[in-house]
Amino acid sequence: MNGPAAVVGVRGLAKHHGQGQSLVRAVDAVDLEVPRGQMLAVMGPSGCGKSTLLHLLGGLERPSGGEVWLGGRRVDTLSERALARLRRRSVGFVFQAFHLVEELSAAENVELPVLLAGGSRREARRRAGRLLERVGLTGRAGHLPSQLSGGQRQRVAVARAMVNDPLIVLADEPTGNLDTAATLEVLRIFEELRTAGQTLVMVTHDERVAATADRLISMRDGMFADDTYLAGSHGRGLGGLIGLDG
Amino acid sequence: MGAVVLVARLVLAGVRRRRAQAVMLVLAVAVATATMASGLSLRGVSDALYERTRAATAGPDVVVLSGESGPAVTRALASLADDPDVVAHHGPYRVVHAGLTARGRTSNVVVHGFGEKPGAVNRPLVTSGRWVRPGGAVLERGFAAALGAGVGDRVAIGGRSYPVVGIAVAAATSVYPWGAQIGPGGGPVDYSGLAWMTRSDARDLASSRDLPVTTAVDLKLRDPAATGAFREAHRELPLVAHFHSWQFTAEQDMAILRNSLPILVVGSWLLSFLAVTGVAALAAGRAVEQTRRAGLLKAVGAGPGLIAVVLLTEYLALALAGDVLGLVVARLAAPLIASPTASRIGEAAGPGGVTVAAATALAVAVAVLSALRPTLRALRTATVTALGATARQPRHRPWLAAWSALLPAPLLLGLRLTARRPGRAVLQACATATTVMGIVALLTLYAQPERGYGLDGSSVLPNLRGEHDRRLMLAVTVLLIVLAVVNTITFTWTTAMAARSNLAIARTLGATPGQVSAGLSAAQLLSSVPGAVVGVPLGTGLLSLFAAGNAADPPSSWLLGAVVATLVATAALTALPTRLAARRPVAQTLSAESA
Repeated sequence: MNGPAAVVGVRGLAKHHGQGQSLVRAVDAVDLEVPRGQMLAVMGPSGCGKSTLLHLLGGLERPSGGEVWLGGRRVDTLSERALARLRRRSVGFVFQAFHLVEELSAAENVELPVLLAGGSRREARRRAGRLLERVGLTGRAGHLPSQLSGGQRQRVAVARAMVNDPLIVLADEPTGNLDTAATLEVLRIFEELRTAGQTLVMVTHDERVAATADRLISMRDGMFADDTYLAGSHGRGLGGLIGLDG
Repeated sequence: MGAVVLVARLVLAGVRRRRAQAVMLVLAVAVATATMASGLSLRGVSDALYERTRAATAGPDVVVLSGESGPAVTRALASLADDPDVVAHHGPYRVVHAGLTARGRTSNVVVHGFGEKPGAVNRPLVTSGRWVRPGGAVLERGFAAALGAGVGDRVAIGGRSYPVVGIAVAAATSVYPWGAQIGPGGGPVDYSGLAWMTRSDARDLASSRDLPVTTAVDLKLRDPAATGAFREAHRELPLVAHFHSWQFTAEQDMAILRNSLPILVVGSWLLSFLAVTGVAALAAGRAVEQTRRAGLLKAVGAGPGLIAVVLLTEYLALALAGDVLGLVVARLAAPLIASPTASRIGEAAGPGGVTVAAATALAVAVAVLSALRPTLRALRTATVTALGATARQPRHRPWLAAWSALLPAPLLLGLRLTARRPGRAVLQACATATTVMGIVALLTLYAQPERGYGLDGSSVLPNLRGEHDRRLMLAVTVLLIVLAVVNTITFTWTTAMAARSNLAIARTLGATPGQVSAGLSAAQLLSSVPGAVVGVPLGTGLLSLFAAGNAADPPSSWLLGAVVATLVATAALTALPTRLAARRPVAQTLSAESA
């Protein structure tokens, strides 16, 4: 389990809600390994358990059964405090609804994980500046989320997810609230991350977005219905791949 | 009629939906109005008890006292009974000033020499045992209660031993410990109890020990209200005489309650303030829901007037229910509060019209102040905006974000949480300051030096007035603390709920439950620290308005201890709600916020 190249791995992972007649198997005994540098897309209809899977991988929810390994360490048995510490350093989250702190500027949002991890203000500022430059938002660092477009907000969220150099980025419908142009902006950043060797697991219901990944898992009723390695996506322009190049 | 039914239905639905808030408003108002009504009822209750005792004991309209004794004094005082305005009299009689020891406690006592058969005026009412007989003494009930003496005990008066044959009350003298109305020679008096003996026993007691004796006569006037005129008519008596009217004695009864009125009335103001802050904090926590409800009513055709009536009626109905409850509590507590000695008999009457009106005005003020903001917000918000109302966006404060970045994670979270809702932080600070003011007042009362009621100020008999003041202040302070505890938990919980999204985000970014919990506690403490510090001078200042000029200040260490204890208690109180808030499932919170 979780060999040297695998960043995250799960075995027999299950998450159940309710009991008896009303038992819901949100995630039903799945096995998975995600090697370092892989961009994995998880697809499926609403309610198939893909977001729950993401939450389980990031330690936001506790599994009902099975094991979760992250960076070679079993994490499903960790305390809440240990899980929080793990998230600080090893996991970056990107959400469909952005979940930025509304009263903080873009830069202050990106600085937050560094400060929570005990980093100095100077260090937080330096890293936030670097990340905002990387996502093309240097000129918007002082803007509040409400002053940014949806795409810009999501880019801030990506910068925030990356600021502590995590082992893995978990993105839950990262383009679900974005228009086509903003979707392209975000996917370009993901592409850059993959090129830089960042491991990324992305939940989406958009086939075009899923097609940009290295690997695609389809989920249905809490189980993996299909696990496909996509070839040739790197050679094409993203816009062409998702039909935006005209 | 239809509109009334609609308002009633909406008010009931509102109360059902916000039960915790409703219960809190009712109880907070009840506490405040009970305290105020008790304070304002003091004089009425005291007067009623005096009147009842006076009626039951044929209390005199005037007691004329001379600091001397002897045939000439007796003749001069007896001549007063010949005045055509006097319809009945008792005496003149000896008043022997001695020391009394019972159960190892010694006190000053004045012994009245009375006949074995009660006279027409000043007939003490025996509440246990029997009236005086040769060789036996009767103790005034308030005095006996303080001594812990009862019928069958033996007491030493002027060194001679007497059995206590009865316990009685009388309206001719003030309540214990002011049984001696004048001192020997007409001089000042010390705290004294009152006892009765037969005339011959009193004479023997005085002569055997050469004890100071004064003389008194009790008079019943044709017009009991004309005591002043009677006194003026007898200015030319051939001796120095002191005229104590029944009005004077009734007024003297209030001496033991001198500090009770400000303690209760000012206490009720502080309690009302805490009631308003607590309910306002709860209402603020539900502002979005309230605004959406108003939007819904507007959407189905309700006008601003109806919405205002519904919201205000809801608060008013609850406040008036609390008012009624408070008045009932005040009625039940009145005898305990208004009669700290056992010197008077009778049931205390209920709060009078003025008291009821004042308490109701207080309840209405609490309701209006609590309802004002949600009502105005609901009225001002456009229908469509109200239907989709979300929490007001906190302001961006770059300086605060920069400054807090220098702090450890819990303080960083706490400071930013405080800054999100500065109004709530100010309310929390004011509530803390109010509580500390009460604690400072209590400590100040405990710091006052006081003379006991025993011989020469000995504390073998405690100072009843001081004890009563401290008991009342303790009760008010406990009520303040109880409301403050509820408020602190409410403030913490509403802060946590208002910031649940941000706290969930912080959790996804790696904040531990402990850091989130500590951050929430820090937010409350950051508001409470200035409140606690400011509460000390405010409490001292408020007390100075009522305290005697020579009142002692409590030691600084006590005040510092009060501030520290308040802050420690605040931190401890926030522990449970913050832990609960920190353990809310992150994924569930974020999903709910996204929906």
